[in-house]
Amino acid sequence: MLLRLRTLVKLIPALCASFAMAQDQPTFLRDIAPVLNKAGCTSGPCHGSAKGKNGFKLSLRGYDAQYDYEALLYDLSGRRFNRAEPGRSLMLAKPTMEVAHGGGLRFEKDSDYYRIIYRWIAAGVPFGDEKRDAVTALDVEPREMNMQKPGESVQVKVRARFADGQTRDVTRDATVESNTPDVALVDAKSLVKGERVGEATLLVRYQGKFQTIPVTVLNPKMGFVWKSEVQNNYIDQLIDEKLKRLKIQPAGLADDATFLRRASLDLTGQAPTPEQVRAFVSDTTPVKIKRAKAIDKFIASRAYTDHWTVKWADLLQNSRKYVGEKGTFGFQEWIRESIAANKPYDKVVRELLTSRGSSYDEPAANYYRITRDAKPTMEKTTQVFLGVRMVCAQCHDHPFERWTQNQYYQMSAFFSAVGLRAGYEVGEEILFDQRANYDMKHPKDGRVVKPEFLMASAKPVAIPDGPQRRDALAEWLVSKDNPFFAKAIVNRVWSYFLGKGIIDPVDDIRASNPPVNAALLEALTKDFTDHNFDLQYLMRTIANSRTYQAAITPNEWNQNDAINFSRFIPRRMSAEQLMDAVNAASGAKAVFPEVPADLNASQFPDPHVGKEGFLDVFGRPLRESACECERRTDFSLPQALNLVNGRTISDAVADPKGRVAKLVLSGKDDTAIVEELYLAALSRLPDPAEAERAAKYLAPGPRATRAQDLLWALLNSKGFLYIY
Amino acid sequence: MRYWYLALAAGTLAAADPSYINDIVPVLQKNCVGCHQGSMKSAGLDLTSYEAFKKGGKQGDGFAQTIRYLTGEAKPSMPLGQPLLKAEIIDKFKAWVKIGAPDDSPKVESKLAPGKYSLPPVVTALRWSPDGKRLAVSGNGEVLIHSVAGEQTKLEQRLLGKSERILSIAWSKDGKLLVAGGGTPARFGEVQWWDSSSGQMLRATELPNDTVFGASLSPDGSKVAVGCTDNTVHAFETASGKELYKIGSHENWVLGTVFSADGKRLVSVGRDRAAKIMDASLGQFLENANTTQKSELNAVARHPAKDIIVMGGEDRYPYIYSMDRTRNMRVGDDAMFIQQLDRQDGVILALDWSPDAKRIAVAGASSKVNLYDADTGKPVASCSGHDAGIYAVAFSPDSKTLATGGFDGKIRLYRASDCLALTSFVPVPLEQATGGGQ
Repeated sequence: MLLRLRTLVKLIPALCASFAMAQDQPTFLRDIAPVLNKAGCTSGPCHGSAKGKNGFKLSLRGYDAQYDYEALLYDLSGRRFNRAEPGRSLMLAKPTMEVAHGGGLRFEKDSDYYRIIYRWIAAGVPFGDEKRDAVTALDVEPREMNMQKPGESVQVKVRARFADGQTRDVTRDATVESNTPDVALVDAKSLVKGERVGEATLLVRYQGKFQTIPVTVLNPKMGFVWKSEVQNNYIDQLIDEKLKRLKIQPAGLADDATFLRRASLDLTGQAPTPEQVRAFVSDTTPVKIKRAKAIDKFIASRAYTDHWTVKWADLLQNSRKYVGEKGTFGFQEWIRESIAANKPYDKVVRELLTSRGSSYDEPAANYYRITRDAKPTMEKTTQVFLGVRMVCAQCHDHPFERWTQNQYYQMSAFFSAVGLRAGYEVGEEILFDQRANYDMKHPKDGRVVKPEFLMASAKPVAIPDGPQRRDALAEWLVSKDNPFFAKAIVNRVWSYFLGKGIIDPVDDIRASNPPVNAALLEALTKDFTDHNFDLQYLMRTIANSRTYQAAITPNEWNQNDAINFSRFIPRRMSAEQLMDAVNAASGAKAVFPEVPADLNASQFPDPHVGKEGFLDVFGRPLRESACECERRTDFSLPQALNLVNGRTISDAVADPKGRVAKLVLSGKDDTAIVEELYLAALSRLPDPAEAERAAKYLAPGPRATRAQDLLWALLNSKGFLYIY
Repeated sequence: MRYWYLALAAGTLAAADPSYINDIVPVLQKNCVGCHQGSMKSAGLDLTSYEAFKKGGKQGDGFAQTIRYLTGEAKPSMPLGQPLLKAEIIDKFKAWVKIGAPDDSPKVESKLAPGKYSLPPVVTALRWSPDGKRLAVSGNGEVLIHSVAGEQTKLEQRLLGKSERILSIAWSKDGKLLVAGGGTPARFGEVQWWDSSSGQMLRATELPNDTVFGASLSPDGSKVAVGCTDNTVHAFETASGKELYKIGSHENWVLGTVFSADGKRLVSVGRDRAAKIMDASLGQFLENANTTQKSELNAVARHPAKDIIVMGGEDRYPYIYSMDRTRNMRVGDDAMFIQQLDRQDGVILALDWSPDAKRIAVAGASSKVNLYDADTGKPVASCSGHDAGIYAVAFSPDSKTLATGGFDGKIRLYRASDCLALTSFVPVPLEQATGGGQ
């Protein structure tokens, strides 16, 4: 025993010495790359810029340590270090401003950064070893922050774990950013301060690894008493669970007329008719049941198909600009049929991705005609169906995600064999699978990149070596195991009903953009896959929830919440909805020469129809991008001017065959006319004060003009322009 | 330390008076010289030396104008986009100007002493003497001359100069003259002329701002051409060290030069991807050799007898071009292009054409040197042994031996016919480490 102890004692200095040795040998990977990042050398405006700065180029935010090391070694024969006299090295003289440096002073001569670089040069500028010096993970503390009130502060601590098992406190060199600085503000020393009540996410980055920390700043106000609102399904339970914790009181149900208009516009794109409103409001069936029935009726309508065809034609970028006139109609019809038949979503996507042959015989093939090349096709496929934006990774590893440049090319390789050639008919193209030299090449060194999935799924999918590899991609992509596929569409559909995704933006799903209610998104996703990717089932579930049917009126406890769906947030009607609603309310019909006169705006094939007119002013997308953001939802000055001065509304209200003309000719009394116009424009009856004031306005003057004025005013009101 | 600094008495100043070197220079360095420096000179102003500061920029009178900008009296206030400096700092400036802006910077005289090496520095240049008996190699602030006899090498001479880095070496045909080009990065550039037998420096010419690249000697030894970071090619007269001309037709740093066989023209290559042909006696741009290059060029070498060049860089392909066109010029026409060799494993940094005209050596960020048959462009052999990339390659005058050097600080000699490794050595005298640290 004694002997053993002695051996141990003897061993200790030896162990310490070897430890000290390892510590004394700084390596580029472990010690220098983080300094270049933290000192700002690799930042976008400096040497990390695509063209470098003043002749010296590093990878953006140091994503490629090997590249940066080689830049130091081989650019201008290693001019930036001097192993014989480390103190004379340019890479010390520049950042300390010992010689003039366009980037200014990055660190002082008397600083740890200076000393570590000096020691590294004196050690001979070693790169280090990935197997020893690479960061494998970050440990952050705390894992989440719950502040009881604004004004509290919490320090973030970051430790890096290296491949050799060592760990190191890197709090000073890690980057900590807040996605909502007006809730959680991070200072230079990674101290986080709660600024106001709300939620935020911190992104902690260090050497390509990252972690997120959710922050909640609670409302310190006393006197919160939870008041249960009706829970129609699991959505409301999960929403309420979180609201209760955050001391947010949800709004109750909206009234029947409001619900009917909202659900009708969201499900069918059309406002309900005056008859529908009257019947629904006077129906005495219990609320939950009659609303469920109305939802079913909307989903079964033809307008439902029109409305969702527009959405999908947007995302799939159906436009004659890319696929010609005949191609556009063909693709639109294919989308329509898929929606009308309620084809399971996985089947739709599989058909798109595996389409081949004539674009006339198999319109789904237009999917490939629109983007044409492997890389843009991959970008849209991942963005639309997985909600993942890969575009950054074309040039460098994604700064806030695990996606690497290699993965960008591996995923693109699935599409690299897809070829298009002219068909036998005018405008026809044939999609085939064996383009000459179809190998995907890596831009850095021209090596062939083999296709590989973004991540392995639970059930492995074999990737064939030959050109037909996109079939394997389709199989992997639409699988129930795919962690993104179902989640992405569920989140997207949710946003169409509630105005905002549970992850928002809906097509930017990444670890650093976490869901506002993870349990809810998970439950919806599971429910959706359990029901065989049934989109109508999903919409029905959402539309029946109290969360969707809630009133817009804020209360004392939810007035500051805009992200937890504690009340309904009004949003402007889309361009097509607005155009159709103006026509429906006025009884007029705007005519477009490119299409048959009886088509609604939501039945137009592409943005070529009515180009640069009313629809474009109100944000109809040109379908040049697969981004959900291409459809503008803002309210702008040109829109306001168009409503007030433009011809769309003034012509509609004055149409000699329109609703006002008919009403006046019918000889109805003022009260009846007012009621009818309110129902037509706002899908509700006027309240007594409104009715009285409107009737008073109609009474004295020429009735036709006055009634037109009234309708004009209603069409310019928020109650018309917004879905609320 | 290689220098012995001798600070001469710096004049007599009252203790409380503001000092240029202690009070003004540190402030300028931290806040101003990023933009007001030799290579940038915003508003024409250079604040990196007392003389330049005094002279001022476009506004004239450096001292008075600088204070007006520092106080915000003149707009935009300086430092640009930053809050004004602290009032006491500005007061120091004012007080210093008030007492006549004395220059109390120590007058430094440096005396050179042979450097000591605990680690081998990178090898950035190497060249054989015309008799093949000596090999000149770059060191830290010096050129080292080794005698080579078979596999035996010996350090014979150390040519100590002011330049920290020697980036190119050339010998005159008779072997008497040795020219070295280099400088100290971001500080100055220099061309040195040495008597190779005595090891005495004949003369040196300095250029401001930064090192000079790719120095080459005209075949008759009368001229030296260098590439510069201000996008120019400079030429100097060997006899006097005087500048003959400078040519500003490049759009980025010029990294390589070579004269034509008759010395009447020269070619320069650089980061602007261009290979430009110049009239070497008049110093005028004649035409571009390449018109379709998409890659920054780091190196150029010429056929020993003909006006054919090989060049390479970023895109890893060695390109062979003629300096003469075979047909009339047309827009976008690459009429002088002859051949493209294999893509290398790394960026190309060094090239040489063997004196017997048969071989081209290509080296760079890869640790191998590839040899090609200069007539067919076919690969002949690949020389390995270095631990990392290679910055310099040179064939011996009899074309039988290839010398290489680079990041690992070692010189390697290979048999040029088959890349058999002959020997390797560290060209600098190494000492035991004296324990790093500052």
